[in-house]
Amino acid sequence: LLEAVRLSLAEQQRQADIGSSELGKMLDSFSDMGFSNAQIMQLFRLQPKLAPQTRLAVVSELLLLGLDADSTLRALQKSPEVLRMTAQQLRHRADYLRRLDLGEGNMNLQQVVIDCPSIFTLSWKKIDAVVRVLKEKCVFTVDQVTEILHRCPNVLLEEPHDLEYKFQYVYFRMGVKHKAVVKSDLFRTPIAEVKNRHIFLERLGLYQTPDKKGQTQIVNPKLKEIIRVSEGDFLVKIAHSSLQEFEVFKKLLAQEEEEGDQDIASEETD
Amino acid sequence: MNYSVQFGSRWPSIRVGLLSEQKYGALINNFAHAGRVSRELELLNAVDFVDESQKAARHMQWDAPVERVRGEETAPQETHSEQLSVEQTQTSSLLSTSISPNIKCYTFSKGDVSRFPPARPDALGTLGYYLLDAASLLPVLALSVQPGDLVLDLCAAPGGKTLALLQTGCCRHLAANDISASRSNRLRRVLCSYIPKDISTDVRITSWDGRNWGELEGDTYNRVLVDVPCTTDRHSVMEEDNNIFSRMRLKERQMLPMLQMRLLLAGLLAARPGGEVVYSTCSLSQLQNEYVVERAVEVAETEYNVSVHVEDLSYFRSLFQDTFSFFADCRLGELVLPHLTANFGPTYFCKLRREE
Ligand SMILES: C[S@@+](CC[C@H](N)C(=O)[O-])C[C@H]1O[C@@H](n2cnc3c(N)ncnc32)[C@H](O)[C@@H]1O
Repeated sequence: LLEAVRLSLAEQQRQADIGSSELGKMLDSFSDMGFSNAQIMQLFRLQPKLAPQTRLAVVSELLLLGLDADSTLRALQKSPEVLRMTAQQLRHRADYLRRLDLGEGNMNLQQVVIDCPSIFTLSWKKIDAVVRVLKEKCVFTVDQVTEILHRCPNVLLEEPHDLEYKFQYVYFRMGVKHKAVVKSDLFRTPIAEVKNRHIFLERLGLYQTPDKKGQTQIVNPKLKEIIRVSEGDFLVKIAHSSLQEFEVFKKLLAQEEEEGDQDIASEETD
Repeated sequence: MNYSVQFGSRWPSIRVGLLSEQKYGALINNFAHAGRVSRELELLNAVDFVDESQKAARHMQWDAPVERVRGEETAPQETHSEQLSVEQTQTSSLLSTSISPNIKCYTFSKGDVSRFPPARPDALGTLGYYLLDAASLLPVLALSVQPGDLVLDLCAAPGGKTLALLQTGCCRHLAANDISASRSNRLRRVLCSYIPKDISTDVRITSWDGRNWGELEGDTYNRVLVDVPCTTDRHSVMEEDNNIFSRMRLKERQMLPMLQMRLLLAGLLAARPGGEVVYSTCSLSQLQNEYVVERAVEVAETEYNVSVHVEDLSYFRSLFQDTFSFFADCRLGELVLPHLTANFGPTYFCKLRREE
């Protein structure tokens, strides 16, 4: 059976330079690592032009990070480009991620890789820039940065500048403190969505920016309650409004944002 | 006065409307190429809301029995028309015939946030339409000017409603007044860009204090529009909560209801017996709306021996429900509430008839 698998795969590749027995050994290694025949088939379907040795090396590295066969396959299916990296690059990146404190207890790093496998293919510079923005511009503590990376590994994929803007928006405009920002998983939510919901509540009279002393005349809903619920729940439970109104509001707000503070050109009002 | 008390659970929805971009209507200028301009606006998917309401009213009348049967089957909130009894439906259709067919105003339907491009002048320099809050036409429609009427527009600048009054083609003479000379000049310029010279000869523009009109020209007019100055809630709603910016000084604001009352009173005295007066504001405040009407009626009665009847305009609510969001609980008159899907108003209007 495996013979058939091997043959069909080999056809797509430059199988010439790899002996049948060599390939057989490799497939045995995959089996030893816990991959089923079907999974091995799937694995080989990714990046078909890749040499089997490289494939094996990358998979091994991922397993060394503590991933099991299942999550390795899932991660690679999500980001097949990881297969193109050399084992050494992978190891470097894993080391760096561990130093970021993600790796404590292995479980965490594993989670990050599953949630966001493309983190391996990011440039060193990019990751560094994101972490620096979180620490220096947003003034999160090291522990908080770690928690953010745990909770929303995808921050690493964002433009550092956008992260800073998003943080400033909730911190200054909405008056949300660091701890609550972390708990809200803010960085999973697109900024446009955050603004839509916040400004909608504000204009409904249901959200106020705290004054200098941090006080408001009404009790604001928590950031978490605003952004981590479905739109339906947000409208029913927090905004107490209708979908029709929110739909129109989003369109109007988009127009407003596009125009900045420019006044709308019109003739007379009365 | 706290709006959250006055409007209860509707207030947040009104508030978000007030603080978001308002909608406009394009009042068609019959003195330009109205047909062509209308077709252009129809291409933008805008509809003439006055015409639509008339069509719907005619429909309601013919289909009334059918409508009712259907109405009973569907969920109550889906059909508004069922809320009206057959009787009411018929009266509203009859009354709707008093709506001037010459006033045409295009709006984008509920939920459509498109905007109108600015009007362009035609070969003679006349503009094809005037952009205004479509709800501000309701007071003019309520005034139902009849052919040959003498009409007074007591607080007329910058002139949106004056223009609408002239569109009816019914004014034998129109007196347009505004206390502010600079604003009167603006009114003059607006009329210049919309109305041909030979027609505007029947328009007299003055800059007097409207409060004295009763003495100046008492018992004269068939129709009087009293569109008073008021606090524009669209600008001042933030200050209710935050006290950040105050557009109008407090003292001035406190004096408003008194000024409004005296303007309405002057309007009532300027009307001839049997004549009709419409009072309108762009405020949500009961103090500037119902309260002013009640006081003016009372003072007219006790101090001038002029008796005044407050007319029922509730048929406006059924007639225009597809375009505007109305408040059903005014003691007197009608109020259009801002709502995101139909973001017009606020506009309050109340019609009064001076008894013979
Ligand atoms: C709401 S605006 C009128 C808008 C106008 N009817 C339109 O549709 O374009 C109120 C006007 O009342 C004028 N006004 C204020 N006090 C007045 C007074 N005592 N007599 C006459 N007009 C007055 C103001 O100058 C202002 O232009």
